[in-house]
Amino acid sequence: MNGHRMLAVARKTLRSLRHDRRTAGFLILMPLFMIAIFGYTFGGDLKDVEVAVMNLDIGGSNGSVADTIIAEISSGDTLRLIFLSDDHPDPLSAAEGVVRDADAWAAVVFGQNFTAEVEEGIAAMRQGLPVASCHVMVLMDGSNPNIAQAVMAEVTTAVQRVLVTEYGLYPPMVVLQEMVYGEEAEFIDFFAPGVMGLAAMMVTLMLSIISFVHERTNGTLDRLLTTPVTEGEIVGGYALAFGLVALIQSTVILLAAVILFRVEIVGSPLLLLLTIFLLGIGSQGLGFILSSNAKNEFQAVQFMPLILFPSILLAGVFWPLEAVPELLRPVSSFIPLTYAVDACRSIMIRGWGLGEVWPQLLILAGIAAVLLTLSAYSLKKRR
Amino acid sequence: MSEDVVVTNALTKRFGELVAVSSLDLKIPRGVVYGLIGPNGSGKTTAIKVMNGLLRSTSGSARLLGEEVPVKEVIHRIGYMPQEMAIYTDLTVHENLELFAGMYSMSRSAFEGAEKDLLEIIDLAERRDSLVATLSGGMKHRVSLACALVHDPELVFLDEPTVGVDPELRKGFWDYFAGLKRAGKTVVLTTHYMDEAVRCDIVGMMRLGEMIAEGTPDSLMKAAGATTLEDAFLANAKEADE
Ligand SMILES: Nc1ncnc2c1ncn2[C@@H]1O[C@H](COP(=O)(O)OP(=O)(O)OP(=O)(O)O)[C@@H](O)[C@H]1O
Ligand SMILES: [Mg+2]
Repeated sequence: MNGHRMLAVARKTLRSLRHDRRTAGFLILMPLFMIAIFGYTFGGDLKDVEVAVMNLDIGGSNGSVADTIIAEISSGDTLRLIFLSDDHPDPLSAAEGVVRDADAWAAVVFGQNFTAEVEEGIAAMRQGLPVASCHVMVLMDGSNPNIAQAVMAEVTTAVQRVLVTEYGLYPPMVVLQEMVYGEEAEFIDFFAPGVMGLAAMMVTLMLSIISFVHERTNGTLDRLLTTPVTEGEIVGGYALAFGLVALIQSTVILLAAVILFRVEIVGSPLLLLLTIFLLGIGSQGLGFILSSNAKNEFQAVQFMPLILFPSILLAGVFWPLEAVPELLRPVSSFIPLTYAVDACRSIMIRGWGLGEVWPQLLILAGIAAVLLTLSAYSLKKRR
Repeated sequence: MSEDVVVTNALTKRFGELVAVSSLDLKIPRGVVYGLIGPNGSGKTTAIKVMNGLLRSTSGSARLLGEEVPVKEVIHRIGYMPQEMAIYTDLTVHENLELFAGMYSMSRSAFEGAEKDLLEIIDLAERRDSLVATLSGGMKHRVSLACALVHDPELVFLDEPTVGVDPELRKGFWDYFAGLKRAGKTVVLTTHYMDEAVRCDIVGMMRLGEMIAEGTPDSLMKAAGATTLEDAFLANAKEADE
């Protein structure tokens, strides 16, 4: 291995990227685009979910409990309430009609005697008599589970809060939650590391497939091999160059995540970049191997979906590995991205250091070493 | 210094049924310009590729600068310009030259000197920082030639170095080859131009993978009773058929 020759190969690879402004721009903008799309789509919590309210409660001497609950719901910004007129012969089916017509995700219905029933129940409870619970009715469009869940949570918490604040009714048993990690973590904190790894993998894989096919079809690879440069130095040079590209990209993604979405990086950014670098050079090796049997770019990129889909779906980028069916879990453990995403997430959210994530890094380094060796060998075979 | 820098023994390369190079015996002494001529598909490129380790010979052997092919020890003393345009079109002229210089671990100062000279010879000094993709066909070819020569090899294989190059520059090239020869370097080239072939010290005529005649241009013409190399080739080809 001659370091100078390897560096010369790395330099020429980076130089050709630099001359190709569009590709260079793409390399920077693509991750920005990805994080922005994902960030804004899944990022914030739900907001302004339209929910209809049919309030038939006639109230009592102390006002209406339904109104208090409605006010409580309105104080948050998750749900946007649409008040339905109770001027209907059949208010319940009118409310249902609104949901049926998809004019609202749900309709909350308070019965005519709601306040009376609530107060009766509370009085009975205080006297130690049996209680007949009254209910708030939610007519739900469950076609979007996320939304359904959010609506139910909002309404339930509002009801509980009103019981506590208005009637001093504390439930005798509660579940206490204390965050060990991820005190402030939102969904974006969970998937930003995933998107970062995914982008690095996608781009290095694509770049290496295309450049290598170019090298072969243009005869430059053969020509290089008639010089003293070795297969290992060529592969190493490319790995260095594309690893660097992956680093630049990840930096862009991290900055975007921090600035645009206030993602917090608890652990060491350097360790993050090291993880991405290892993933990048591994993907580069994979790209070399994939394209070594391809006659042109088209044949080579045919492999992309084969690699990309399992990686997107099974490596824990958007949902946890625990959500991957048992049957497919062994596949997850063969995908380098799995380890990279896991390590990045632990570093970013849990603030873990080398002492904790070394197993993932070791596996990534091992995969990279194997793939790079194989790709150097795939060049050799051509002689 | 009359040792042979290229020696092949019954070198043969088959592609399946096709015999591209058939039992080639070559002995090329140091300090000559050796020209391989012959029609399309006669095996010139294949022979050169085998000698440069890009193709594995089917049988027979070859030695360059005394080392068995594929060479390792002497690889940095050899240059090779492929027939196809094997340079990076997404790099500038300078960057291509610098890359190949880097492959031979040239020092910065040695490279700068060589680059200056070569750019003059290929007449592209002004286009040093142009992307190769933006050059004309002949210009690209000239860059490719320069890349093969940048490390000042003592043995250089040039596969059709003057194709698509204008007459004035071609003359410049041949003066340069003469200079290489004077410096004790050996040039092995292929060409389809007979006016170039006559300027070679030794010409090897190939046909259907076989060497049908070899010698100085004068001796070849004399032996065939011909006034041009072209006629000499045709006469030899006819004889080989019989
Ligand atoms: N990779 C290959 N696979 C199969 N056949 C090949 C291959 N390379 C060359 N050939 C065949 O070998 C023969 C010799 O080809 P070669 O390229 O050596 O000819 P050449 O003398 O250089 O011709 P030209 O003057 O056109 O460059 C041809 O018939 C060609 O089709
Ligand atoms: Mg040829």
